[in-house]
Amino acid sequence: MARTRSTKPSTAAPAADADSSRSKSAITLVPHSGEPPKVFILPSKATPEARIVTLPNPRTSQPSRYLACPDTGIYEFKRIAAPKSEPRSWLIEASTDSDQAKTGDNASAGSQVTMGSELFVATALDPLFLVLPALADAKASKGSEKPKRLFLSSDDHLDKLPQESSHLSEILRWDTTRRLIESRMSAVCDTVDAGDESMFRLNEDKLLEVIYQKAKRMSKSGLPPSMEDKFVNKVLEAPLMHRVSTASSTETDASSVSQTSTAATSIAGEQADETVTSALQASPETVELQKLKTAFEFICASYIPSGLADTLRQSFTGTGGPVDFSPLNDYLASLEKLRSETMAVRAQDYSRKRNMDEEEDEARMEKKRKMEEEKKKKASESRGVRELKKVNTSGMKKLSHFFQKK
Amino acid sequence: MLEARLEQASILKKVVDAIKDLVQDCNFDCNDSGIALQAMDNSHVALVSMMLKAEGFSPYRCDRNIALGVNLTSLTKVLRAAQGDDILTIKAEDAPDVMNLLFESSGEDRISEYDLKLMDIDQEHLGIPETEYAATITMPSNEFRRICTDLAAMSESVGIEASKDGVKFSCNGDIGNGSVTLRSHTSIDKPENNVDIELTEPVSLTFSLKYLVNFCKAAALSNQVKICLSSEVPLLVEYNLSGSSYLRFYLAPKIGDDE
Repeated sequence: MARTRSTKPSTAAPAADADSSRSKSAITLVPHSGEPPKVFILPSKATPEARIVTLPNPRTSQPSRYLACPDTGIYEFKRIAAPKSEPRSWLIEASTDSDQAKTGDNASAGSQVTMGSELFVATALDPLFLVLPALADAKASKGSEKPKRLFLSSDDHLDKLPQESSHLSEILRWDTTRRLIESRMSAVCDTVDAGDESMFRLNEDKLLEVIYQKAKRMSKSGLPPSMEDKFVNKVLEAPLMHRVSTASSTETDASSVSQTSTAATSIAGEQADETVTSALQASPETVELQKLKTAFEFICASYIPSGLADTLRQSFTGTGGPVDFSPLNDYLASLEKLRSETMAVRAQDYSRKRNMDEEEDEARMEKKRKMEEEKKKKASESRGVRELKKVNTSGMKKLSHFFQKK
Repeated sequence: MLEARLEQASILKKVVDAIKDLVQDCNFDCNDSGIALQAMDNSHVALVSMMLKAEGFSPYRCDRNIALGVNLTSLTKVLRAAQGDDILTIKAEDAPDVMNLLFESSGEDRISEYDLKLMDIDQEHLGIPETEYAATITMPSNEFRRICTDLAAMSESVGIEASKDGVKFSCNGDIGNGSVTLRSHTSIDKPENNVDIELTEPVSLTFSLKYLVNFCKAAALSNQVKICLSSEVPLLVEYNLSGSSYLRFYLAPKIGDDE
């Protein structure tokens, strides 16, 4: 007790220092860096010369990371991650036969745990998409119906892409890459040879055809289940009703059955058109068309600048497009009608009842709350106090009349 | 801080039992002279005033004035855990959140301890002047209780009439009427049965029986009860506790009530 407080910290401080230095020597803790290491899966066919480069995103023009390989083309990174609510991390084990492990110069860093739960997968990307913004030249196409486009050399086109933090000029130094890009450009452009140089001008019909083929291939090889569920099955699903007409119920049945069958035996969209017009229901063809449309929408939404995507969409689904969407449109129209009818029936069924319910519920809740409050209040007052409340106090003056307040 | 040791827990038990049917929440005001309580019922026509003098405790220590706001129903629940002959110790900090009650059973070496959450109670205090009453009646508390309960069965209110002949409690109800008259009575063998009437002038007042019956719950505290009356002034019913500690009830008279 006699000890003064002021002496204490001075003795304690060096001790703490010694402690911390000892622990430092015992275990070496790598300081936590801001960004956890990321896990990438790169294509095995990519050559060692492949580099991760920054290129403007075709959709947003924001600088994004791509994997460019001089021999096999350009890859985009797809991020696969668990939702934030389920924290995960990677345990990475160094393979024992790798050179690094053998030499042992970095053995401890071989196996590690990373905080980030993301997995980045490099998937092949058509370089066409990267140059499309330059070819379309969004600013010019916005103004008039048929923008005037000039024949330009590939370099002149590529100069229109945002140059900021872009490695495009670097990867164009690779001959193979330049040739690849130019060949892809020629697939969607009218070309003119001027001397030893080719001049390009975007042809929207060609572009549409290319995108259509891509969409077709995508829908044929099967959409991802989640996409198919949300954009195909949901859209074509007829509403369930208590009093559904028999026609509509068979429609839903037919659609679910047909979807499974198309997965197995892919029927060409073109062939089936006649049968669709005769029977208006979610036939395999309608499903196929919806799949195609979904695939096309996906490509438009992911890789094509919005201005260009709108015009493409119009010409794709319009009358002059490569595919006749009328069966799908007819089906969707009838479905819409059916849905609104169902909604109307349900609204009639429920609206009155629900309103009553809500009001009643509110009243009941209010009553309940009051009851509980009262119960609580009652619990805190004794029976005697409650009894006294009922006493007739008429003719009795309050005590404050007789006694002065302090 | 407060520390008050009461040899007989029954005193506090009985006091709280007597008050709890009149008042819901009240402050126990603790200072160096003892623990005091003043509270009115919901209708503000009755008032209870309690004083437990420091001499009644052994020891008693209170450094600073502390108000212990308690819900009497809750306090009753805690006090129910105490035996009548337990030694009761009340403790509280200077700015307390809880009131600590310690019950020691000397015979069984049993110690139980409870913390009762306190509440902030805003209560007006009335200054009660020392009054010279026209009539002061001292009688056995059980007798007073019996009269009140008997008459309460017939009517809502009782007329108390004190004259040199004695004191007459009378009521008039739907089923009929009745009265009880007591005369001064002195017994040497059993002084607790004495009836003593001091009168400076005759009085006649009417009171609510329900309230009087309620006051009579304090009969267990004392053998004798003192009833003081003056016209146009609240009735005082006083139970003396050990020493100069007391429990007093005031009740406003019924005026201009023809019934």
